[in-house]
Amino acid sequence: MELEQPIEQYQSVATWAKGLREQWGGDPLAEEPEKIEALAAFCQFDGRNPDELLAFCFLRRKETGVRFASVKRREAVAEQLRAFRTASELSGTEARRLTSNLLSFFIHNGIQMHTGMI
Amino acid sequence: MEYKEVIGIRRSIRYFDPDRPVEREKIQKILEAMRIASCAVNAHWLRAVVVQRSEIPQATLDSLKTPVTALVQELAPVHIYCYLNTGTVKEVEGARLRELVDVGALNPSHGWSHKFVDEFVYPQILVPFSENPAYPIAAAFDCGGAGTQGLLTAVDEGLGVCWTAFNAEPAKEMMDIPDDWIPLYVMNVGYPLESREAGGQRPRPPFEELYSEGKVGRPFPRDPKIVAELEQEKMFTTPAPLPNRKQEVRDLSRKLGLPE
Repeated sequence: MELEQPIEQYQSVATWAKGLREQWGGDPLAEEPEKIEALAAFCQFDGRNPDELLAFCFLRRKETGVRFASVKRREAVAEQLRAFRTASELSGTEARRLTSNLLSFFIHNGIQMHTGMI
Repeated sequence: MEYKEVIGIRRSIRYFDPDRPVEREKIQKILEAMRIASCAVNAHWLRAVVVQRSEIPQATLDSLKTPVTALVQELAPVHIYCYLNTGTVKEVEGARLRELVDVGALNPSHGWSHKFVDEFVYPQILVPFSENPAYPIAAAFDCGGAGTQGLLTAVDEGLGVCWTAFNAEPAKEMMDIPDDWIPLYVMNVGYPLESREAGGQRPRPPFEELYSEGKVGRPFPRDPKIVAELEQEKMFTTPAPLPNRKQEVRDLSRKLGLPE
């Protein structure tokens, strides 16, 4: 899957970059290209762009229209992340790093995920 | 450590050494401290079940986790699951109050006698109290006090601790929890990977906002001399954030393979 625009231009990636800058200082996405490369590879694997991936995690309550993070959707994403890690054929530290980088994208966009899910 | 220093250095530890076991004697000390806590009517509602994380099947462990507590439960080598035994009052039927009379803790000077316990306190106060909807709240207050004694003992023993919630249903099944026990929290115990200060003493609401004198809205005045004294005694330590905290967290995240 080809992204329609440079990955940095997606709103969710900008939010991730901002979150990382605020948390750690500097510009971690620019300084550690492996982070964004991991996300780009996952998008390729999954077939959705970063904003679509993020939007998938949320639903709206029928009665109120209030947006909420869906547990089932989050679990579905976690399953995709597991499949991606398996497909990457990485193991040990490298596999953990890949997973952590992807979780970071979701976490800084407000989706609570942890390594135990993956 | 001195008592006030233990209070001052306690942190909710969220980064444990997952592979370093906790000595059994230290676990026992935690439980012993819980047992001798102050408790209304000497009831002792708190029940605790110690579980080694490594002995929990992974699927069960996963089911015990809540989204925000998962990692703490995953890292802590020992879990102490705390419950409130609502059946306590009726099980002991005032016997523990009679013990307090026998040992001279509750005395005629304050109106206490065996007859008072048997004919008034138990049937007319404790039984109705144990059937009141507010009963678990009152009992939970005492469980919290007992748990805190255990928590501080763990800190004094050089351990890291963190209370978290847990999913009650799988826990009940795993530990054969009786139906009348109310799940409270799990004390996660292990050796901290964080530094002793763990980022510094956490922010708290202003003193005057929390405590009043005489009437609500009339703050209990805070004497800066006392604050200074407590600083000397290490009950107050360096407030968070410490300058190196983010780097410490980042290093821990990388060491443990966690997201940044």
